[in-house]
Amino acid sequence: MRAGSGVGDGGATGGAVGHAQAAGSVAAHPGGEPDERRAPGPAVLSARDLVVHYGGVVAVNGVSLELRAGEVVGLIGPNGAGKSSALAALGGQVRARSGTIELSERRIDRLAPFERARLGLTRTFQSTSEFEGMTVFENLQTAGHGADGGSLTGVVFRGKQNRARAAEVSRLAWDVLDRFEMSATADAYGRELSGGQRRLVEIMRCLMQRPRVLLLDEPMVGVAPHLVDKLVNDLLTIRDDGIALLLVEHALEVVSELCDRVVVMAQGQVICEGLYDDVVEDPDVREAYLG
Amino acid sequence: MGSWSFYISTLVVYFGVDLLSGWSLNLQYGFAGVINFAYIVFQAAGAYIAATVVIGPSGGATSFQQYVFGARLPFPLPLVLAAAAGAAMSLLIGLFSLRRIRRDYQAAIMLIVSLIAIQVVSSDVGLFNGSNGVTGVPRPLYAALHVSTSSWQWVFAAWTLVICAGVYALIQWLSNSSWGHALRAMRDQEDAASAIGLNITALRLQVFVIGGAIAGLSGGLLVEYVGAWSPGAWGYAETFVVFTAIFVGGVGNNRGVAIGVLLVPIIFLEIPRFLPQIGYPGLIDSLQWIAIGAMWLLCLYIRPKGLLPERRPIARREPDPGVAGSLAGPARPGRRIAAVMRGQGR
Amino acid sequence: MWTLIVSSLGFGVVLASIIAVAAMGFTVQLGLTNVLNLSYGAVMTVGAFVAYLAVSFKLNAWLAMVLGGLAGSLLTLVLGSGVFKMFARRGAHLFEMVMVTLGLSLIIEYAVQAISRDNIYQFVVLQSSSIVVGPIIISVTQLVLIGVALAIFAALEVLLRLTKLGKALRAMAVDPSLARSCGIRTGQIVTITWLLTGFLCGIAGVIYVINSQSVDYYTGQLFLPLVIAAAILGGVGSPAGAFVAALIMGIVTQVVSALGGSAYSTVAGFGILVVVLLSRPSSVTGTSAGAAQLTL
Repeated sequence: MRAGSGVGDGGATGGAVGHAQAAGSVAAHPGGEPDERRAPGPAVLSARDLVVHYGGVVAVNGVSLELRAGEVVGLIGPNGAGKSSALAALGGQVRARSGTIELSERRIDRLAPFERARLGLTRTFQSTSEFEGMTVFENLQTAGHGADGGSLTGVVFRGKQNRARAAEVSRLAWDVLDRFEMSATADAYGRELSGGQRRLVEIMRCLMQRPRVLLLDEPMVGVAPHLVDKLVNDLLTIRDDGIALLLVEHALEVVSELCDRVVVMAQGQVICEGLYDDVVEDPDVREAYLG
Repeated sequence: MGSWSFYISTLVVYFGVDLLSGWSLNLQYGFAGVINFAYIVFQAAGAYIAATVVIGPSGGATSFQQYVFGARLPFPLPLVLAAAAGAAMSLLIGLFSLRRIRRDYQAAIMLIVSLIAIQVVSSDVGLFNGSNGVTGVPRPLYAALHVSTSSWQWVFAAWTLVICAGVYALIQWLSNSSWGHALRAMRDQEDAASAIGLNITALRLQVFVIGGAIAGLSGGLLVEYVGAWSPGAWGYAETFVVFTAIFVGGVGNNRGVAIGVLLVPIIFLEIPRFLPQIGYPGLIDSLQWIAIGAMWLLCLYIRPKGLLPERRPIARREPDPGVAGSLAGPARPGRRIAAVMRGQGR
Repeated sequence: MWTLIVSSLGFGVVLASIIAVAAMGFTVQLGLTNVLNLSYGAVMTVGAFVAYLAVSFKLNAWLAMVLGGLAGSLLTLVLGSGVFKMFARRGAHLFEMVMVTLGLSLIIEYAVQAISRDNIYQFVVLQSSSIVVGPIIISVTQLVLIGVALAIFAALEVLLRLTKLGKALRAMAVDPSLARSCGIRTGQIVTITWLLTGFLCGIAGVIYVINSQSVDYYTGQLFLPLVIAAAILGGVGSPAGAFVAALIMGIVTQVVSALGGSAYSTVAGFGILVVVLLSRPSSVTGTSAGAAQLTL
């Protein structure tokens, strides 16, 4: 794994929607000195009093949470707690009935998912969502071009810029592939890869957008046990780049290893918040899971 | 010899028109995943406009044929307007039918648009002369070129192929661009495509309109060659032939589509011409449609990707001199150079 | 002008009854199996032709209607449990199933064309006198057809609400896997669905041609847009909704026709659906990979 390689080459490049890099991104050497982890930065994503109706039921009933740059927050809770709905509301796949969502102090709750993505909010999906008709490399290229890639006028009228841009996107793609040791899979299709590899493709694809926030919906689903550790480490390095991560996850061992902070939901509400070790001792939490 | 010349030149024109249809539909379905079961409507729009802008003003209800518009525009304006008509029609229909909608409903709605369009045009005689259609479309440049009929046909056939070459270049350029990638992302995983910043609704509309323009152009060419156009030429089943050609030849691969177009509308549908007559006159036509339907089902069941499926591009890494011990992978000689290489000007 | 509109109301209700029978079958089929069956129109045509044949063999009109329904049943069963299932087993997506049904539609339609030699056949049965109620002119036959539609609606509602089978059908439409784990024999229910909705489809074909008095290979296809529109407008899976939507469609199309726009009557009907969908897209949104699954 290349040391010291943060995602992206620092400095805004032409065309990429200028996501401000989290202050001073210095990548910690994975598996290195955990005490040198930076403290989380300012709040990047905050939701207040979210209410989400889904399938005729109130799935999320007044949930507030905050996500800071460079931290991993786990969203856990028993089945039916509304975690995925909350995530979907943050990502924009579902419109919240009420409440506000802010990304770096900008209201986004009325924005469509693609608009939120352009502002630096990315996510993965519960069933791996790599573009199956394209190779891994093409997946990354497409994400690297992002919104500008989909612009027809851009393609037609900015030939020269496009060439430069394409070269840069390719370089970034190879960087990302190398960082996660996936270079050999560049020309593979999703169906030729394992569950864990496909999840990595999804995550790499998110990184190509130089996001501020990464939402993950049960990332360990479909990942073979021996790959889970690798994935956890990879996510930790992403955190160390200053990106804020929020993940919904059932596997509590993963949560304890990965998350700086844990938010527990049950029946559409937040019932507890804090460090993992503290939260698991909380009587309300135990009751929610067992009762 | 003369009748063979007539026949072959006609086939070439049909082949060209079907190529345009195939590529247009492939752009929409193969690359973008839009199931355009109303394809034929856009070809018809182009044909009708190309016809009515050359046959002069309509004489109204009492005359031989009545229609809207009506002008005597010179070549090649009718073709340009035909493409515009296809695009305009696509925009109109796309605006309401391409919303965020389940794909099976979208397909059904497109089919219904096709059914309704033909009902409307057949019933509203003032539009395009109803079921009788418009006739008397003069051959473009026929008088100007002073050639015999059969020579003109070959000239037109060549002209059609020139247009095909141009459209092919356009489509290849577009589909290999980042816009093409965006389309395929939308086709594969719409939600994930949104999540990387792509405006799905806009993309769908764009591909629909561009495809519609090409469809309109194909209709214009056809009507200029054949000289007439009526609802009999554009039933909903015609869209099928093109779809079957794509399935047989290769979804998402324009060269494959060319093969499919050669096999299905040209070879397959021309074979009965050489068979002895079976049953009553017209039976063969019905049987042909049944065969197309069966072929369609077979393709869907066996190998929906076609003979020449979408190709796998090999990504090549540009050696980065700045990094020590770079992991530059072996540059595998691939038949197709990835877009990234094109992007670097090679 | 008012008389024109009122008299077209009469025609509208007749047309609505025909649409209703077809739409009720379509909506139950789509609601339960999630197959958007575009060959429905072709099956209607087959039902109509079977009735035509029955009548030409001097069978009584009611019997012809039943036979048409049975033909629809049988054909739909063959399609559903045979062809659709074949493709579903291969993991077809929802929209791929639509394409399959369209291919079948082509085959059936042109097979009918081949057999019928592409002719239009006169189908005059149940001739009767007309009743005049103000500006509304309606024949007894048409009243009978309306009655048939109402009877079918009533029977369907009784079936769905009061019988065990009906409860099973409704459970399956909502959540097939849950229904299965509750012990409902889902395979059987699907078979019954094909038979039942196929019967409605066939009957719809027959009463359509009783009213229009002619039948040819394209009959059903002509009718399909309004049927699908009514089914979607009324809420997929709800026969009562389909009935009301059919009324709207029937009346609107006939009124538009009477006001001089006969070419655009179907457009008007369909336009209503479009307007409704644009304002309340929830009924048809969702990606193809979303919640709806084929139940076959």
